[in-house]
Amino acid sequence: MSINDKLYDAIVFGERDVVVEIVQKAVDNGEDVVELLNVTMIPALREVGNQFSSGEVFVPEMLVSARAMQGGVDIIEPLLASSGHRPIAKVCIGSVKGDLHDIGKNLVVIMLKGSGFEVDDLGVDCRIADFEAAVERGAQVVCLSALLSTTRDAMRPVADHFTGRDEVKVVVGGAVITQEFADEIGADGFGFDASDAVRAVRESLGLAAVPA
Amino acid sequence: MMTPRECFHAAMNHEQPDRLLIDMGKHIGSIHRRAYVRLKDYLGDETMVNENKILDRMAQTVVPDESLLRRLDIDFRWLVPHWVQVTERDDIPGYIDMWGVPYKAAGDWDHCVVDGAPLRQATLENIDDFQWPDPHDPDQFRGLREKAKRLFENTDYVIGADAIKAGVLMNSLQMRGYDRFFMDLIIDKPFAEALMDKILWTLKEMWSRYLEEVGPYVQLVYLTDDLGSQTSLLISPKLFREMLMPRMKELHDHIKSLADVKLMFHTDGAVLPLIDDFLAMNVDILNPVQTSVTGLEDTFALKESFGDRLCFHGAIDVQQVLPNATTEELEQEIALRIYDLGRDGGYILAPCHNIGHDIPPQNVITLFEKAREFGRDPAGLKKIVETGRSYFNRNR
Repeated sequence: MSINDKLYDAIVFGERDVVVEIVQKAVDNGEDVVELLNVTMIPALREVGNQFSSGEVFVPEMLVSARAMQGGVDIIEPLLASSGHRPIAKVCIGSVKGDLHDIGKNLVVIMLKGSGFEVDDLGVDCRIADFEAAVERGAQVVCLSALLSTTRDAMRPVADHFTGRDEVKVVVGGAVITQEFADEIGADGFGFDASDAVRAVRESLGLAAVPA
Repeated sequence: MMTPRECFHAAMNHEQPDRLLIDMGKHIGSIHRRAYVRLKDYLGDETMVNENKILDRMAQTVVPDESLLRRLDIDFRWLVPHWVQVTERDDIPGYIDMWGVPYKAAGDWDHCVVDGAPLRQATLENIDDFQWPDPHDPDQFRGLREKAKRLFENTDYVIGADAIKAGVLMNSLQMRGYDRFFMDLIIDKPFAEALMDKILWTLKEMWSRYLEEVGPYVQLVYLTDDLGSQTSLLISPKLFREMLMPRMKELHDHIKSLADVKLMFHTDGAVLPLIDDFLAMNVDILNPVQTSVTGLEDTFALKESFGDRLCFHGAIDVQQVLPNATTEELEQEIALRIYDLGRDGGYILAPCHNIGHDIPPQNVITLFEKAREFGRDPAGLKKIVETGRSYFNRNR
């Protein structure tokens, strides 16, 4: 199946009604929705993520694109399960203990979901036990977010907790986080922004980079 | 020797004052109460008693004692509006501010964070039904006229009117919910405009009353909003110019029509692409020049580009430098920012944000002592700057 240009553009420009109409029509015509998702929808949101990273679009445009994409995903989600479609991997994400900021974290959730990951969003003020429970539910990557320099150190015990468990990767990000800090606490990856977080999660799992 | 107030007028006219202006103690620029206690213990100063006198409830900062301001040789004294129309929450520890935005306490009141958006479900039709703040609350500015007059007549400090917390964008985001309002700006412009206009009207009414009280005595006013993230703008320049800028300019023009004041505008984040717009919005001083974000690292270039038209306040990083730098690196950072921004006036040195409890007390003291020492001769700092031993160079 080739890329559906109209659907691709509708996601990039955040036109939810157009997305819903095209996807519904595809479903009615019995088209392969897994292909539609993988060939058109996921690359479209990735394009928005790339534009966000390069400063061509900003948070409002990204949210509107994600909303448009979700309009289509809501229609095909029930069909995906029955078609045997599997997410790339299961990832959990939360702002660390003491930190209740979630704007940046929510953007990361959008990009991960839009890139084909199943995301267990643990919200804010998460403790080690919350992340451990998510790993028991199947999360292969633990994503930690912190905005404040005063809560950043709460990442350290979470990273320590998963040290030595090769099946669990820890990826960190947030306003005050640097690669140096990520290395210092022994994290498997560091995401510079919401789009880069997808790269970091893929790399931590040993997956090939997706061409921009 | 020039008084602080004379230095301020010179610096604002881009003339070299005979001492560097140094600030601390306002909203978004004070000390967290736990850092305050540590500083008090470090100094052994029993006259510092304000640890429970909270300036900004969200950030849990304190109103610094006069004794500390004198010890740190601070040139400014800030008039702080009182919190009004705040209600305590009975469900969880926290409060609801005058805009109806609920906050919850995090980490045993370490700080508070927004916990819900009262206008998330609102429509254009029912937006007026919301319990808007009373802009004519007599308690909001009670006592400030007397304090301003006393400071004006009996001291030489620069007197500032501290912010009425949050501007048009931040209030819109918090009342509507960040995600909803960001999307409204694109997909529901009539609602976004109605909300912003209502906030703008409320703020204008409050500033009218505020400056009626303190206008004759203050030299500057402080307005706060936030337009940037660590790496970029929150919204595109196009959307900013279309939706935000006309309203922000209207507020600034209103304030300047009421009193002869310089206007200091706060926005965190990577806002370099908007600086010409700030000038067009009648901003005189940009705060806080967050040097840890994309595009604002190079303060020499910033001064070259805008220094003849814009003054700068801040530039001492609290995210990385003050918590982590060695004493040598901190001194280098202070020298660098004074050298870059202090030429021909136009610079007020201050921490970029509140002094958090991750900042060691000795770094706080080093900051203010060295700033005073280095500020006597900005051009003479070249030798220190040229060593290049900065915190940011080590970690870049």
